[in-house]
Amino acid sequence: MLGRRAVLGAAAAMPFAAGCTRSSASGSARGGVLNAMMADEPATLCYPLLNTRLTQEICGNINESLLLLDWQFKPQPNLARRFTVSPDGLTYSFHLQPGVRWHDGAPFTAHDVVFSCDVMLRQLNPRSRNAMAHCETIRALDPLTVEFRLREPFNAFLLSLMASCAPMMPAHIYEGTDFRTNPCNVRPIGTGPYRFARWERGQYIHLTRNDHYWRASQPRLNDIYFRLCPTPEQRMVALETGAVDVAFADDIDTVVTSRLLANPDLIASSRGYEGVGEITVLEMNHRRWPFSDRRFRAAFMHALDRDFMVKAINFGQGKVATGPIPSSAPYYDPKVLTLYPHDPVRARALLDEMGLKPKRGGVRHRFGFLIIPNGGGTWTRMAQYIRQAVAEVGLDMVLESSDLPTFSRRTGNWDFDMDCNSYGEYGDPAIGTSRFFLSSNIRKGVPLTNIQGYVNPDVDRLFTQAAVATAPGEAQACYSRLQQILTRDVAMLWMYERAPLLFQHRRVHDLVSGPNGPTDGLGRTYIA
Amino acid sequence: MNRLIYIATRLLKTGLVAVAVVLLSFFLIRLAPGDAAVVMAGQSGYADETFVKSLRAEYGLDQPLPVQLWKYVTAVAHGDLGTSYERREPVLKVILERLPNTLLLDAFALLLAMSGGIWLGALAARRPGSAGDAGVTVLSMLFHAVPQFWLGMMMVLVFSIWLAWLPPFGIATMGADYAGLARLADIARHMILPGVTLALYYLAGYARLTRTAMIEVAELDFVKTARAKGIGERQVARRHILRNALIPLVTYAGLQASILVGGSVLVENVFSWPGIGTLAYEAVNARDNPLLLGIFMVTALLVSLFNLITDISYSIADPRVEVGG
Amino acid sequence: MKDFARAFLSRPGAILGLCVFAAIVAIALAAPFIFARGPFIIVGMPLLPPGAPGLPAGSDVLGRDMIAGLAFGARVSLLVGVTSTLVAAGIGVLLGAAAGYYGGLVDDLLMRVTEFFQIIPSFVLLMVLVAFLKPSLASTVIGIALVSWPQVARVARGEFMALRAREFVEAARTLGESDVHIIFAQILPNALPPIVVVSSMMVGSAILTESALSFLGLGDPNLMSWGSMIGGSRSAMWVAWWTTVLPGLAIMVTVLALNFVGDGLNAALHPRRHR
Repeated sequence: MLGRRAVLGAAAAMPFAAGCTRSSASGSARGGVLNAMMADEPATLCYPLLNTRLTQEICGNINESLLLLDWQFKPQPNLARRFTVSPDGLTYSFHLQPGVRWHDGAPFTAHDVVFSCDVMLRQLNPRSRNAMAHCETIRALDPLTVEFRLREPFNAFLLSLMASCAPMMPAHIYEGTDFRTNPCNVRPIGTGPYRFARWERGQYIHLTRNDHYWRASQPRLNDIYFRLCPTPEQRMVALETGAVDVAFADDIDTVVTSRLLANPDLIASSRGYEGVGEITVLEMNHRRWPFSDRRFRAAFMHALDRDFMVKAINFGQGKVATGPIPSSAPYYDPKVLTLYPHDPVRARALLDEMGLKPKRGGVRHRFGFLIIPNGGGTWTRMAQYIRQAVAEVGLDMVLESSDLPTFSRRTGNWDFDMDCNSYGEYGDPAIGTSRFFLSSNIRKGVPLTNIQGYVNPDVDRLFTQAAVATAPGEAQACYSRLQQILTRDVAMLWMYERAPLLFQHRRVHDLVSGPNGPTDGLGRTYIA
Repeated sequence: MNRLIYIATRLLKTGLVAVAVVLLSFFLIRLAPGDAAVVMAGQSGYADETFVKSLRAEYGLDQPLPVQLWKYVTAVAHGDLGTSYERREPVLKVILERLPNTLLLDAFALLLAMSGGIWLGALAARRPGSAGDAGVTVLSMLFHAVPQFWLGMMMVLVFSIWLAWLPPFGIATMGADYAGLARLADIARHMILPGVTLALYYLAGYARLTRTAMIEVAELDFVKTARAKGIGERQVARRHILRNALIPLVTYAGLQASILVGGSVLVENVFSWPGIGTLAYEAVNARDNPLLLGIFMVTALLVSLFNLITDISYSIADPRVEVGG
Repeated sequence: MKDFARAFLSRPGAILGLCVFAAIVAIALAAPFIFARGPFIIVGMPLLPPGAPGLPAGSDVLGRDMIAGLAFGARVSLLVGVTSTLVAAGIGVLLGAAAGYYGGLVDDLLMRVTEFFQIIPSFVLLMVLVAFLKPSLASTVIGIALVSWPQVARVARGEFMALRAREFVEAARTLGESDVHIIFAQILPNALPPIVVVSSMMVGSAILTESALSFLGLGDPNLMSWGSMIGGSRSAMWVAWWTTVLPGLAIMVTVLALNFVGDGLNAALHPRRHR
């Protein structure tokens, strides 16, 4: 972990710092109880049914994935002890760990993998659906070998078998049942280092050590409690008083960062969410003028002081985003980007140039901005800052607050001028980024698609080419070109890369061991 | 006999109110812009048409409004308030889980408010126009002017942040997992700040009401007679004046019940008290329509039930009460 | 009228309330002239304590001047308080007048509706209404009016019931005046004083309700209101007390002033009840 004082400045600047590695030199401390928090109670603990940050943190300890990511985003063995990829990029074979058992004692076999990927995830988890759509067949060759045959090459395929994308579910429990009402949804069964023990409604979810875990050295804790802590203030107090040992991303309101950083009992770290690679963005409805004009979008960017946003709205967490791909992720190419520094004069000049002259009261244009609902926190502060900043260049932005259904419906139905959101890249642009720019993903009524209506045949072609590229360097070339085009086009308004702080008490060690953070489970975490 | 008819009509009225609540809230909430299927799809980070469609069918959102209403009403008649979108659990179960916490807090607050208010009011009424009387009046006006949620936050600021005497949030110490008596003591400690916050507003009301009622009763003939008989002033106040002044207080408690629920939403929110109020706020934010409908119905029913009880006890306590209308 | 004024002015609380209220109105009116760049302008780093250079009340979570926010917040509070009370009084007088004047079945029906609105948990209803209408100034006003009219309706009904049997009404009726004329031209002016008093008491509670809605994030995000100032700094309270303490004090002082005025009006109207 990085020192708490250094964390704000240094963490983002050196994404691959050697602070946390998968191999730890520490001793063999075992036992103890770890207390974590949950902001609200999950509706279910059936991982594919509800794939949110909260269920990822809890179920990551129970339902494992075939592979893990290391800090360099290279696939590492997990339930699959090794894998092979055919030279044409069409056949992926996975050899499973032998002797793995589900928490109820049943053996874990290739059939479970086929069932999870081909049936359960495909049916329930929209994110897995995307990846599994590339598969022609998923077959068990023998009890410990699974073969995925793809229709065409898809070089991000391995990433879609990581942590939150493809948790393995027990076929003997779920096969042939109604997944939504299966009683195991509230007492999940997996192969992971911790077993589900108890769910005390309104209080906690208790996981306990899996004594028969296939990794002999793990788990190192005896118990993990996820304690219900609905408000940010409550979570901060819980952390300060030691009632909980760790606070994961977004558990803590950024406003109190300074107070927690000053607490000598706590260690802060900004590692563990690179795998998600979240960028906070503003979206514009390109079907409407003036948002359709590149100059307007550029002027908007120039009007904003994004350094201030990171410093004052996020209280130093994260860094200014420069384009569609996070600076910590593969394929990021800083050389080709068009940058938009804070420059109100330039913003005004661009608006003048496109004929958007000030009218009565100095207002050039009036439009709406849909705020994502979060009870007055960071999003509202960001929206209010942006409103003020663009007012300086003559734009009158009207804030519209909403609840989650309204937000999803209006953005999905393209009934908005501008909105804000935060999107994960998930380690590869083909998984998390292309969905917002491909013209084939303009789908009315569906949120989280290309709701802007961005259409660029070159971009379509490059994304498609990049995803199927098998020759070395070809994908990089495509993504470099894409970053060049998209930033020049201001295809989206990238605000900042999120690097949420994790807080832990001094006695907690090895909390995070890869870019997917707590999602990978806490098998190696120990208390000393 | 008369009283039985009175009680029967009051019961009938309560039933009608319940029906009206169901109809009103159903139409009100169906007019809402949001659609839970889209939210649930959005929660997964990705969404596509068939996924949204299957969710919509699962929760019956694809059917025409009258069909939805009919299904809802028949289900309610069978005690089934539907399934919460957000929690995917029976609404009644979710509400019943939280209800005891709210009732506990409200009962504590009401008790605190009544005892404190009556004491203060009686104090003020003893010598109308004195400095003490003026003090009570000013104090009661002050508590009526303070936003309850802010008062709660100030309680947290003073007693939890600055003095660190009392726990600021929740119903129990996290991670302590007390059992038995220690658990009760823990809950009691957590109840002090939200309970006092909630009570202070009503305390002011009770103080004012007690004061007025006692001054009025003190001028009535039987009190003057009692005084003339040479009964001590303290005893007159306690035995004759206060007892008779209590009657309007009971009605006041009935009227306050619906406001108390509103106050609970705010105070529970500030103190993260896991009750109906917090649940209502979560339901509004998540647009969890069945849950919201359920909360609406259950609280309205409870309030009218409470009113029924106070009305009946009022009619028993004061035989002069006009029976009927 | 003269007696009324004298009775009102004889109460020091009422005078003080009126003065404070006048001062708040003055601040609300002057705010756009004193703080020409509005309450949202960022003047420094976030959470600077009171007394920082140029910031007598400190800065908020976004580095905005707390003083400007407080001044602009007065506008929202007063606007919502007064308009929602006017709308509520309108609804209440209309329904109360109809119930009191016609009596019988109309009265029964309208009073059941009034009772219904008094029984259901009004704040939950309000949250639903505002959330569904989309949080804005208009939806706040409409929502508050819709849950607070029963009070006026009851008072209006009582007055109309008492007045409808009076001679001047009988006279108007025998002259063949229409009901509408009798209700609005004959009875209403006489029924007005108690309605005004009960309405004046409602302004304060409307302000409190507005602040509660904004606190829960159900206010208009384009406006700086006292409630939203508090709601937006819930976490900040732990590092910067002034962000929550000051707006709350502003609400309290305003409502207190209004309640003293209402109390004075009430006393002036019913001199016997108060001594």
